[in-house]
Amino acid sequence: MRSGLGRAGRLALFGLGGFAVLAVGAAAGLWAQAWDVPVGRPYMSPGTDAWLGTDALGYDLLAQVVQGARVSLVAGVGGAVGAVAVGGALGAWAGLRGGWTDRLLSGATDAFAAVPPVVALLAMALALGPGVATVVVAIAATQWTGVFRAARAEGQRLRAADFYRAAQAMGAGTLHQIGWHVIPALRPVLLSALVVLFAHAVKVEALLAYLGASAPELPSWGKLLARSGSELARGVWWPTLAASAPLALLVLCAQVLADRSGRRPD
Amino acid sequence: MSSRRASIPWPAVLRRLVVAAASLALVAALVFVTFEWLADPAALRLGRGASQEAREALRAAMGLDRSFGTRLLEHVVRAMTFDFGVSQVRGGPAGPLMLQALGPTLAYALPGWLLGTAAAVFGGLAAARRRRADRALLALSTAVISTSSVIVVVLAQHVLAHRLGWFPVLGWPLAGGASPLAYVMLPALVWALLQWGPDVRHYRAVFERELAAPHLDGLRGRGVPERRVERHVLRAAVGPIVARIGQRLSHVVVGSVVIEELFNISGLGALLVAAIHEADAALVQAIAVATAAVTIAGQALCDGVVWLVDPRVRRRDVA
Repeated sequence: MRSGLGRAGRLALFGLGGFAVLAVGAAAGLWAQAWDVPVGRPYMSPGTDAWLGTDALGYDLLAQVVQGARVSLVAGVGGAVGAVAVGGALGAWAGLRGGWTDRLLSGATDAFAAVPPVVALLAMALALGPGVATVVVAIAATQWTGVFRAARAEGQRLRAADFYRAAQAMGAGTLHQIGWHVIPALRPVLLSALVVLFAHAVKVEALLAYLGASAPELPSWGKLLARSGSELARGVWWPTLAASAPLALLVLCAQVLADRSGRRPD
Repeated sequence: MSSRRASIPWPAVLRRLVVAAASLALVAALVFVTFEWLADPAALRLGRGASQEAREALRAAMGLDRSFGTRLLEHVVRAMTFDFGVSQVRGGPAGPLMLQALGPTLAYALPGWLLGTAAAVFGGLAAARRRRADRALLALSTAVISTSSVIVVVLAQHVLAHRLGWFPVLGWPLAGGASPLAYVMLPALVWALLQWGPDVRHYRAVFERELAAPHLDGLRGRGVPERRVERHVLRAAVGPIVARIGQRLSHVVVGSVVIEELFNISGLGALLVAAIHEADAALVQAIAVATAAVTIAGQALCDGVVWLVDPRVRRRDVA
């Protein structure tokens, strides 16, 4: 898979790695620690003192942006992994079992999918209180239905495959079946779902932060964006840029990677 | 194309109805459990300083002292008959409150939805047919998908309305100097753009598959003009296109929380956010169940349309 990424795909992977390094360094206290103390006058334009300028309270925007990568990455990875794990497991189960298991699980999934995502997201955010964990759970809970369908289709295909039936007939145990047949069969579908959902989850986190339902203790790009709209109208453009550029770049990297990895080498 | 009329597949219809009813019940139950878990409605209504006795009395008066199962059942049955009760916060039945907010949402979402769908279908067809269009459209679509809707709305408002002055910045109840149409235009455009981004990729994939179908070569080999071949392509692609349109229908009904917030439109999305912040169970229940119902109905409608248009579905050649 790695070899089929192409130049743009490798560049995107490199970009995602860069964001990860930024976030880990910020979390470990290596850099960007001065995000919650004023470093200068309010609304300093970008310059040598503060590379991305300062916000309404004189806080350094660059430090906030770097710290914001933490929340975005955790929400993106956590939400995507959660959704893929739940959707993949249930979907594979439904597809492989068939019969009433399939009917019940598919029906329940359809019912879940009928809840508008906005309603589910906001209701969960309210029920669990603001925080990164809330965002992860909310994203996973609303996004798993799509993964379920893909995994179910793959499971059905596997169920009809000769080699799988042969393995069953030879008395392969459940663990062997999962390890040797189910996981390899599902891997391409789940991996591409993972990247697509990561991109989506990052955007959803920004939206929830914008609405005030994300981590209250850390700066996040969505929160920066929420404040920047009115500032933009007064000609203060750098908070908008500082918040939107990394968000767009991160999602772009994931999106390009998803496009490249989803492509079949034909 | 057979002119033989296939009979309506009643078992499938019946199954759909059962699933639809179960879905609605599940949605209602989910909302009920969420709010039940969240807070005691009696405590919410009385506020912080209320005494224990007052709360107990109100609980009894509201019928909250009955068992959880009974209340859940009663609640779900009432929600399924679209009786959502009274909004405690806003004082009034929740159903009409919701319908009131639906108008402003549809005013911008419906034109945006139509515009976005048309642009995405034709963009997808162009991208699937011409290499140069493909590059440009895919790049634009990737850019739109990568940009959070918050950024798109903020930038559109700032550049198109503030700087260039092509549109009024914002203004809802439809009044003031400009015509109502002007206020709707920018939100509708933004909606169309946001929807176009992912949709154009979807339609491109659909058309790419259809354009590679072997029967098209047969048609061309017999000298059928390209315009007529295009009609065959469009007709074969109706299924996936309609399915996507149906998916989008549910978004149209809820509207966009971001667009409504930034353009100050008092629509359903804005109402939903407010209702959730105020823990207004009846109103959230009303919006959730109604939108779920619209989603399910839209899905059924789309299946019906595909069934009518596509003879392969009628004859069960394809699932």
